[in-house]
Amino acid sequence: MRHVFWMAIFAGLTGVVFGAVAKGTDRQRLIYGLKVFAEFMAIAFILGWILYFLPIR
Amino acid sequence: MVAKSAEQSENVETPRVAWLMGLAAWAVPGLGHLLQKRWVRGLLLGGGVWVMFITGLALGGHLFTVSSKDQGLAALVQFLPMSANVGTGLLYLMCWITNTGFAEQAHRLTYEYGNTFLLVAGLLNYLAALDAFDIAAGRKE
Repeated sequence: MRHVFWMAIFAGLTGVVFGAVAKGTDRQRLIYGLKVFAEFMAIAFILGWILYFLPIR
Repeated sequence: MVAKSAEQSENVETPRVAWLMGLAAWAVPGLGHLLQKRWVRGLLLGGGVWVMFITGLALGGHLFTVSSKDQGLAALVQFLPMSANVGTGLLYLMCWITNTGFAEQAHRLTYEYGNTFLLVAGLLNYLAALDAFDIAAGRKE
């Protein structure tokens, strides 16, 4: 749970910075920041499940 | 006609203030935007980088440096993450002067998270510095 928490904090802060430097209206930048956050989270979960099934321990 | 206007746009000199804003944004995260009265953007960018840097240190991450002990490929391996860390500007310099955050704490569970936070804080600040430069140069609103 702790790892998911820090991953979410990381994704959130990165989304804030990416959204702030993006071009467009405030609304477009807000949506872009949220999209970056969601992509980070989704990719992390997908990769996590893929790695779970791989015998690499 | 098109070629001529393209040539003209290439010859436009970058204002000196743009370089100063870029430097200020690199040195102190958020400062480049605040000096240009981009309050919200400055607080978001600066706040994001500062929080990420402090969180990275709190999680047990360590800053990279190239020492005289590192030779050849070992120096290169240290140099790449160090250049990412240096992106935090004076934050890195202050840590270097006070010898804070350079000790490895691999026994901590969140050690790798801390390293990632510190590296990405520097990289994001490079992005913020470029943004401040572009705004000052009139290339971005």
